[in-house]
Amino acid sequence: MSLPQFKLLRPRSASEAVEFLAKYSARQAERSEPAQTSRGSDSRGRLSPHVPSLLQSPHPHPPYVPLRVIAGGTDLIPSMRQKLFEPEYILDLRGISAMRGIRPQPDGGVEIGALTTLRDIERSDFIRQHYPVLSEAAATVASPVLRNMGTIGGNICLDTRCLWYNQSLTWRKGCGFCIKKDGDLCHVAPGGSKCWAAFSGDTPPALLCLNAEIEIVGPAGVRRIALHEFYTGLGDSYRRLQPNELVTCVFLPESSANYRGVYRKLRVRGSIDYPLAGVAVVMKRSNGHIVDARVGITAVNPAPMLVMGVSEMLTGKALDEGLAEAVSDLAARTAKPLTTSALTPEYRREMIRVFTKRAVLAANN
Amino acid sequence: MSNDFSIIGKPTAMVDAAEKTTGAGKYTDDLGLPGMLIGKILHAPYPHARIRQIDTSRAERLEGVVAVAVGGDAPNPYGILPVGHDEHALALDKVRYVGDNVACVVAASEAIAEKALELIDVDYEVLPAYFDPEESMKAETDLIHENKPHNLEKDYHHCFGDPDAGFAEADQVLEARFISNEVTHAAMEPHSTLASFELDPHTGKLGRLTVWSSTQVPYYLQHKLSLVLEMPMQQIRVIKPLVGGGFGGKSEVIPLEIIAAIAARKAKAPVKITYTREEVFWAHRGRPRTIIDLKTGVKKDGRITAVKARVVQDGGAYCSYGVVTILYSGALLGALYDIPNIQYDGYRVLTNKPACGAMRGHGTVNVRFAFESQLDELAAKIGMDPAEIRQRNLLQPPCITVNGLRVQSYGLPECIEKTVERSGWKQRKGKLGKGRGLGIACSHYVSGAANSIIRSDMPHSTVNIKIDRDGGVVVYTGASEIGQGSDTMTAQIAAETLGCSLSRVRVIAADTDLTPIDIGSYSSRVTFMAGNATLRAAVEVKKQIAAAAAKKMGCEVEELVFRDDEVKRARVGAGDSPAQGQPAQNPRGPNSRGPLFPQGSSSPPLVPSSSQHAEQASVSGRVEGQILRGSLQQKRKDEGLKDWMTFEEAVVAAIDFHGTLTGTGSYAPPQEARGGKHKGAGVGPSPAYSYSAQVAEVSVDEETGEVTVHKVWAAHDCGRALNPVSVEGQIIGSVWMGMGQALTEEMVWKDGMLMNPGLLEYRSPSSIESPAVEPIIVESIDPEGPFGAKECSEGSLAATIPAIANAIYDAVGVRLHESPFTPERVLAALRAKKSAKSLNLTEGVDPTAPERFREHGGVLLFKGKGPERHALDPARRASPAAVEGAD
Repeated sequence: MSLPQFKLLRPRSASEAVEFLAKYSARQAERSEPAQTSRGSDSRGRLSPHVPSLLQSPHPHPPYVPLRVIAGGTDLIPSMRQKLFEPEYILDLRGISAMRGIRPQPDGGVEIGALTTLRDIERSDFIRQHYPVLSEAAATVASPVLRNMGTIGGNICLDTRCLWYNQSLTWRKGCGFCIKKDGDLCHVAPGGSKCWAAFSGDTPPALLCLNAEIEIVGPAGVRRIALHEFYTGLGDSYRRLQPNELVTCVFLPESSANYRGVYRKLRVRGSIDYPLAGVAVVMKRSNGHIVDARVGITAVNPAPMLVMGVSEMLTGKALDEGLAEAVSDLAARTAKPLTTSALTPEYRREMIRVFTKRAVLAANN
Repeated sequence: MSNDFSIIGKPTAMVDAAEKTTGAGKYTDDLGLPGMLIGKILHAPYPHARIRQIDTSRAERLEGVVAVAVGGDAPNPYGILPVGHDEHALALDKVRYVGDNVACVVAASEAIAEKALELIDVDYEVLPAYFDPEESMKAETDLIHENKPHNLEKDYHHCFGDPDAGFAEADQVLEARFISNEVTHAAMEPHSTLASFELDPHTGKLGRLTVWSSTQVPYYLQHKLSLVLEMPMQQIRVIKPLVGGGFGGKSEVIPLEIIAAIAARKAKAPVKITYTREEVFWAHRGRPRTIIDLKTGVKKDGRITAVKARVVQDGGAYCSYGVVTILYSGALLGALYDIPNIQYDGYRVLTNKPACGAMRGHGTVNVRFAFESQLDELAAKIGMDPAEIRQRNLLQPPCITVNGLRVQSYGLPECIEKTVERSGWKQRKGKLGKGRGLGIACSHYVSGAANSIIRSDMPHSTVNIKIDRDGGVVVYTGASEIGQGSDTMTAQIAAETLGCSLSRVRVIAADTDLTPIDIGSYSSRVTFMAGNATLRAAVEVKKQIAAAAAKKMGCEVEELVFRDDEVKRARVGAGDSPAQGQPAQNPRGPNSRGPLFPQGSSSPPLVPSSSQHAEQASVSGRVEGQILRGSLQQKRKDEGLKDWMTFEEAVVAAIDFHGTLTGTGSYAPPQEARGGKHKGAGVGPSPAYSYSAQVAEVSVDEETGEVTVHKVWAAHDCGRALNPVSVEGQIIGSVWMGMGQALTEEMVWKDGMLMNPGLLEYRSPSSIESPAVEPIIVESIDPEGPFGAKECSEGSLAATIPAIANAIYDAVGVRLHESPFTPERVLAALRAKKSAKSLNLTEGVDPTAPERFREHGGVLLFKGKGPERHALDPARRASPAAVEGAD
């Protein structure tokens, strides 16, 4: 499978990147749906004449994006080969050195540049010491080779995944496409109009537990939002990020430093695989009693989720098996896995339960 | 038998190792020709549809597109088996699986070709499709192939001995259904073919065709190309460059190999096609999903009295090797243990999925999983140790089994003994604590089929050796190196026989213009058959060298020893090792029988009579003077009689004497090894069988169902290990691949769509899951194998799956009847055993005893009705009733 043709944009600074984004997303605004049909052969022409009705589907597709941002490329490149994205421009961030690095802040907390590789996070003594859950989560992503390329920003922005979506163009033609791309039906929730593609990043549940915030830069300036506000909970438009915006930075607050942390990941193989279910737990204890605790789960919903009510349930108590089980029930209830990946939804939900219990107990020890 | 060898039996680096590890070696996709174009294939989006019309005009008009080939460009059918010519390179009237080949675009680049694929308009009439083999067998209408009623490719019904009497005699009888889900080879190198026509100098039209292809079977490819293109075979040259693994996936003609040639003919330019990984999955030819209904009876003393197996294979849309697979499944019930009564009913069924074919352990693996699992259960029933019950059922070779298989060398007893000993079986079994256990299983495989696909008495392998004045030995063999070590084995045997160093030997392999015929690298035949042919060719050349050397040295040829690049007179009676006294000319030892020296002489004379050659000698005059470098050698030459010669001197003497120095050897399996007379008896017989026993140590997480394999002790009887490091590699690779099938690998289907056509979702184990494997080489020295060698690359695989299954049983007491043992299946079985809250994985089907295939195996993508299909979706456009039936 070849890569679609594109023009490569290589900004030297974040502000130049934002300029590029503004410029080419403006182009995009002019070239909405009708304009693209004039591109003829590729993006529209692929639908051979006998399935034209797919085009006139009433379902609101995510708008065509003529520009894609590349950092490590581990997510984007395979998807481009599968013709999930056929952008005209690729904005390559790798030349922006200011966006790379782990910078402990004078007033506590740490700022992690979006281009920092997962390998660097995994290896950082500072992170391991103060935010162990992130260190552990980063170390489970894919394989060492991919972690050398993949970035924390990329992991946060990771496209949602589904067996009916992450397939080649030819394959998707065979199933009649789906809501997330080119079609109007969902194969995992028949009859539904919502996309259930699962968010499958490993670090976001850990970051959620750490109350992380992210910095987003756009034409309107810089804004900083809590990470949990970034995700929509929808499989198709899964993040709140305008096409002309960029995630530049992750902040971990001082207040969540030095929590005990554990990340547990369900996967069939010990390497390479995306999570089929993932649980991050952070916990602070004092005199044998829990002062604060949070649980985040991933790969079982269209967004990474913080499990509600965990802190209330655990605070002030000494952890025992029964309490851990109660927490794991909460987590299992938060999980809504569907048949978006290998292993059955029932099993994956069950494993959220088992892994949460284990992670909570491990964090306590 | 002498063990004193200078080359074989020593760990030897593969002759192509440097090329491969440095990246200097060229695989097919690395090749290019001036003016070469790229071909891309259009695949069918429907599992079963009639093609009403194909319009390629829009694609042809695209800038950069040179030609578009369709089925009509080469309508002749072909197939690997003479009985199964049911494939067309590009579909003529129907497509039969999602991914079937419809058209091929030839363009200046891959991107243009891909773009052009979207411009080909195909008008399909969608037909009801069949995905479940047991449903497919009931089909009356919309057959996949019109000449195959009930979509039944082939069925066989064999009965040996008296199974009913056997079961009546048994003290314990067990009957169960086992299911093995579909797996594929996942070889590292995707298939790739480059085809180029030469211009005929007289007519200016397209003349000879050269095809470079990643294939295990260059000669079959040459044959099928000739059929489809309607060209004489001698006008077609097939060259096999380096191949990055085959495992059976390249052991037949894959559509792209023919399509590339058709496209090159149409485009009048060289065309290369390389499959994407997805296309590799569609080309498939892997191990079929198999339902095994197995019944076994044993006496209290552990003796097996009878076995009855009904096997249904989900063969996919074309015959491929299917007839052979279903026969192997039955035939290889025999020749491992002594089973007096066997009943076998095998059904190879067509379904609307990619064709299954040969895969490492062809035909035997799934049935072996069922058999060894059931034997384990029977051992528990009669209160016998699982290792012991296997020892109670050994064959007494040499013998011929009840189903007509001749067994000579038989290392199984030693294999069992050694794995039991090394694994600490007796001390540790049952004492490993909660959730951890040991399991044992055995397996075997053929060392090449005694009957080739195309039945004939012609040799299966032929090898030519040429030695020139420089003392370089060139071996021409059709055997295909696919990473298994074929070239290294050939060089080793030639060097050992000729007593020269390995670096002198150059192997020219698998080029139909240069090398004599060899039917290919499959069914583990190369070491045994091409190895024997090499040995014979080398012996023939050596005779000629020996005759000349004996003359120069004034001795009898029998006195000569060829070793370490020297030819010496043996000091008879000097107390040397037997090999010195009885040189390696006859490596097969005094026990040798069989076809190499049919007269049965234990010490055959090297030449009939050396004196009569004296008169014919000296045609080449002083030619050696031109080749011998340096005055020292010239001086030595003039010294008169010598007591030793270098290999080069001996070679020059022989060329001086005979004029040329070449030898030919070939191998055809002996008549005695070719099996019985019943229908289907041709598959299963082999000149020799390899044997394997394995013990696996696993632990099971009872909360998650995850299985971890900690260690596997794998003993394999390979006859003689010509290259021990290579044998160990094959054993480890087999265990690893078997473990993949046992635990993680599974092709998952929905409505004929392969849900995991990539190496991310089709989960072969990574290095993290790889257990410690302790390979144990057992050498039974086969009387007919080259230096006693047999198969070593396939037999071990089949034991791994049941060894792991039996270990899981030992660890947590659940018997798994369906592979792979994914965590969800294991957990479901554990829950069922404990009557705990059940995990509904399987549409209400008991996970411990599946009754039928679920469409997606345990990876249940839908329960109940399935999704509302799109209006244009194939399932909906077809008649609803038929589709529901097929679901």
